[in-house]
Amino acid sequence: MTPNARILIAIPAYNEAGTIAAVIERVRSSLPDYDLLVVNDGSGDATGLILKTLGVTVATHMCNLGYGRAVQTAIMYALDCGYDALITLDADGQHQPEQVGGLLREFEAGGCDVLIGSRYIAGGGYRGTPFGRRVGMQLFSHIVKLVVGQRVYDTSSGLKVMRRTVFDPLTHWHFVDFHAEAIVYLMRLGYCIGEYPVTVAERTQGHSMYKLVNHFKYPLKTSMLVLLGIIQAGLTRRRHRS
Amino acid sequence: MTLQGILLVNFIGLVLLLWVLNLVRHGRLYVGYGVIFVVTILGSLVLVSVPWLLTAVTHLIGAIFPASALTLLALCFIVLMLLYILTQITIVSNRLSKLVQELAIERARLDAKRATPDRDRDRDRVPETKQND
Repeated sequence: MTPNARILIAIPAYNEAGTIAAVIERVRSSLPDYDLLVVNDGSGDATGLILKTLGVTVATHMCNLGYGRAVQTAIMYALDCGYDALITLDADGQHQPEQVGGLLREFEAGGCDVLIGSRYIAGGGYRGTPFGRRVGMQLFSHIVKLVVGQRVYDTSSGLKVMRRTVFDPLTHWHFVDFHAEAIVYLMRLGYCIGEYPVTVAERTQGHSMYKLVNHFKYPLKTSMLVLLGIIQAGLTRRRHRS
Repeated sequence: MTLQGILLVNFIGLVLLLWVLNLVRHGRLYVGYGVIFVVTILGSLVLVSVPWLLTAVTHLIGAIFPASALTLLALCFIVLMLLYILTQITIVSNRLSKLVQELAIERARLDAKRATPDRDRDRDRVPETKQND
């Protein structure tokens, strides 16, 4: 990436009134040189109002479309506006914007198309990972290894850096959670995915998307999407060849 | 099937047919969906009203009683319709998502465009303020 590369930081937010102002403040102070976009994914609380007062660029979904669509909106915006790379951060304050600098340096040096801020590789950390979620992460990590031959330890991290090269393929398919299915899809298309250790704080405000019912629903849904990701990648490759 | 049964099914079929036609007339049901229902209702009426046809279909399916054959056909129709309707809902939902995304992007672009001249103006104002001081 060139030194003058345009980088966009995107924060998908859904009902994060309690944390969004602090997150934006931290991002602005840690990463002042980059443009910032918040995707307000149809929040029903005061998130929209807070964003208005902060004077940040906001892409507002009129209704809640889900995390995958929110990230996709950010990618579409980055593609339309000619950005060279996109950084995604969660709005719940768990990610530390201070760590993005290291992530970016590794991204620029490593040559990966997507670099994931990983909690589960050496050097990374996450306080208070629920047992069920840890098992799920292990499962999907092994599924990714089985399907693409490379272990990705943190398939559900919201902290990612993406190069412009992956913007186009990611706007062509609908991703529900932008987790293992997106990773498998990109890797099957031949893109390079890497991981960089980050530490993630415990959530202090709002609710996690991982409710009790999701412990059963999420693995089934993601497994099906991984399978569809493989098929979709195969079809995309064939279309490109022809 | 007894004559009483045939008459009852025909009556229900005709009521359904009129209802579907009325829905299409008022624009509350797409013509395409209406055609599916009209064809199915008419097919069912013919099947029930012509005894030898119902017997032939029952043998073809491998059922013993005509009622079982009709139940199986009805179940197949319900499952197919359900799948079709869910497909249509998903298509509409995807279109809506795309629209919401496009609208959000356009508004964000406008916001960013508006913010850029404001930022430039603010930057220009700083020296003026200093001069005044």
